[in-house]
Amino acid sequence: MLSEKLLLRRPGTVSAILALALLVAIIASMNSVINYVNAQSEALAGLVRIGETYIILSRNATALTDSHIDARLANCLYEIDEISQAFPQKLLKAHLKTASANLAVNIRVVENLEDYLKFNAASLKGTFARNSFEADVGEVLAGTAGITVGAKLTFSTNGKTFNIKVVGVYRTQSPLDAEILIPLAAVGNPYAEDAEISIIEFKFKPGVDRAIALKRMAERLPSSIRIVKVQQPIIFMQNINMQTITFLNVWSIAVYAIIVAASYVITLRLMAESSYEIAVLKALGAKKRHIFASIMGYAIAVAALGLMLGIALGLVGAQTASTILKWLQPTVEMSPFLEAEDILKTLVLTLASSILGCAYPAYKSASLGYMEKPL
Amino acid sequence: MTSSIKILRFKYLKRQRLLTLALIITAASLLFSITALSLLGFYKGFTAYLGGEGGEDIIAVYNSKSRTPYTGSVPAYLAYRLASVKGVVATSPEVMAPCLINDQAAFLRGIVPESFTKLNPLKIVRGSMFNLSDFGSAMVGERIAKRLGLNLNDRLLLIGVLADRYMELWVKGIFASNSIMDDEVLAPLHVGQWLRGMDYGSITIIRLKVDRSTVSLSEVFEKVASEAAQPIQPIPGQGKSAAQEPVMPWTIRRFSIEDIGVEEASKYMKGYMERYGVTREALVTLSAAVFLFSSSTIVIALKTVLSQHKDELSLLRALGASKRLLKVDMLIKLLPWTFTASAAGFLIASAILGVIQGLGYMQVLSHTVPFWLDPSIAALNFILAFTLVSVSVLGSGIE
Repeated sequence: MLSEKLLLRRPGTVSAILALALLVAIIASMNSVINYVNAQSEALAGLVRIGETYIILSRNATALTDSHIDARLANCLYEIDEISQAFPQKLLKAHLKTASANLAVNIRVVENLEDYLKFNAASLKGTFARNSFEADVGEVLAGTAGITVGAKLTFSTNGKTFNIKVVGVYRTQSPLDAEILIPLAAVGNPYAEDAEISIIEFKFKPGVDRAIALKRMAERLPSSIRIVKVQQPIIFMQNINMQTITFLNVWSIAVYAIIVAASYVITLRLMAESSYEIAVLKALGAKKRHIFASIMGYAIAVAALGLMLGIALGLVGAQTASTILKWLQPTVEMSPFLEAEDILKTLVLTLASSILGCAYPAYKSASLGYMEKPL
Repeated sequence: MTSSIKILRFKYLKRQRLLTLALIITAASLLFSITALSLLGFYKGFTAYLGGEGGEDIIAVYNSKSRTPYTGSVPAYLAYRLASVKGVVATSPEVMAPCLINDQAAFLRGIVPESFTKLNPLKIVRGSMFNLSDFGSAMVGERIAKRLGLNLNDRLLLIGVLADRYMELWVKGIFASNSIMDDEVLAPLHVGQWLRGMDYGSITIIRLKVDRSTVSLSEVFEKVASEAAQPIQPIPGQGKSAAQEPVMPWTIRRFSIEDIGVEEASKYMKGYMERYGVTREALVTLSAAVFLFSSSTIVIALKTVLSQHKDELSLLRALGASKRLLKVDMLIKLLPWTFTASAAGFLIASAILGVIQGLGYMQVLSHTVPFWLDPSIAALNFILAFTLVSVSVLGSGIE
């Protein structure tokens, strides 16, 4: 303890603490700025008006047409009080032939077609398809293939050919505009053959606590399905923020590498400038481990002081820079901050880097005889 | 003079001790280079985002009120009107739609393929380009394909971010553009409008390729201004202009000229970044500040070298070498070490950035940050390191 105090009173200690503090300040300031930017972007994402739609698809499906779920699942959904509307659907890839076009199309066989189009705020020219020989066609598809109300279409899917009559052309400003909608139980019941549907689209009643409702649903529904929220601005922003944090973490490795090197140099300097004191301690009978512990204690104390000063410097520096930036560029407004988790991470990594950097010279110094001179 | 030549030949600085100093300079240079190359790469990549580097012949027509390049809205029919301006070689109406693909953040760009490829020729790596009416198809950039593990004919589930929309697309082709666009998904214009939640009469941006000797920026702006001023007129002969129309006909809508900006594509992106205080100068200053923050370690390393050579320096002083001569001599001897160490730091930084870029850890807004071996950064790195070493040596108290 006495020897550590002796070493800490050396004139070079202050500059050593400052050197480490400046390195820690780099990390702290960068973290604080990134924290602010990330918090702002998540807050902005939270302001986006989020829609009501959820879809249920099979857990292992990577695409909608990969999904296969039991058609009877829809009955379970109708029994859940929190759900206001649910639309079981079978999605088919089909080949459409018209007088002017020959193209691949998506066909959506949906229960309650009329309600489904209303659910999608559709405007319709014509009528809602009501039986197995009728269909409503999206405006974009109708434009592409030259389809009009009253047209007769032939399409083939799963090796079978079907004929339908177009009774309406709708616009929803959504991907549905490039699809053909057919009421459930139409097309010779293509889904009924295997009693499977592709997805169920649903929304909750207004005022329902969605988190609780989703938890309750998860308990009631089989584990082979998953529920996906259709609009996810917050997840998107978290994903984007994670990319920045990942890069910052990789970049921080370079700073910690310098902390390792700085600790190594600080210890070397200690050995060079305190060789007399160390030699006296050895001559007085101090053991190797005592010398080693003293040097390590010194390095850790310097690192701890540098860490505290560095975090304060980094935060204050970032906030000062933000204020100056605001004067220069009034549109920029930043309030950098540090999370407790960041401080803890910086603390652990800085101390570990310092210990790593000083261990070898401390060991070498402790191993030398009191008449030997360090390198 | 004779004594200075003799002292220059005398190798009193031990190589092993100087190695420590060189190691510290290398580490500080590494940090500076990583910071500067990545920040400037980000800046350069995003300023070239819409028109290629220096692309003065690419003009952007955008919403001047939007806070990001992804969230604006301009009337789509302007693409048609501007296509008829003399000197406009091609017009590309585009919609930027943030989305989630396989639960990963991505950007989809709705385009008119024929028009888009006139501005950005794409190398089709696999598959083929979709048609404007291939509403279920998409082309993916080779970097996003690698990042998300996408292959030709894969089907993607896209989840909306700004709109309550979802859809399935199949990968019809994989392209390479040698730009940050390789991190995007390209799809027909209407797909972008659906995912962005826009009506068929709106798009995010119009990019024009112009012949600057024939048409100026102000002439393009005047055309936009005249459209804003004159009463709504139907588009004559729809579908017959140089601008290829999507399936849904362009609908004419009134707009205010104050909401529309016309600018060179690179200046447009620079303007966005400057709005948030991000300029090239600010990024270089930030990198230099990072170097200076790590410079105290170099000062300590130099002081350590001096302490370690205390006996040798005292001996030379006793033999008659002046303090000034010793300092200048040390500086000359340290010059190659400083040069080598800073060059090593720069090269190691470049190698590290190459590796982390390849591993996909160098992403901002789901776009890979590009980096270039910028000689000005290498030069600045050496100048900073040598200045620091010079100040430390010349200011040192050799007794």
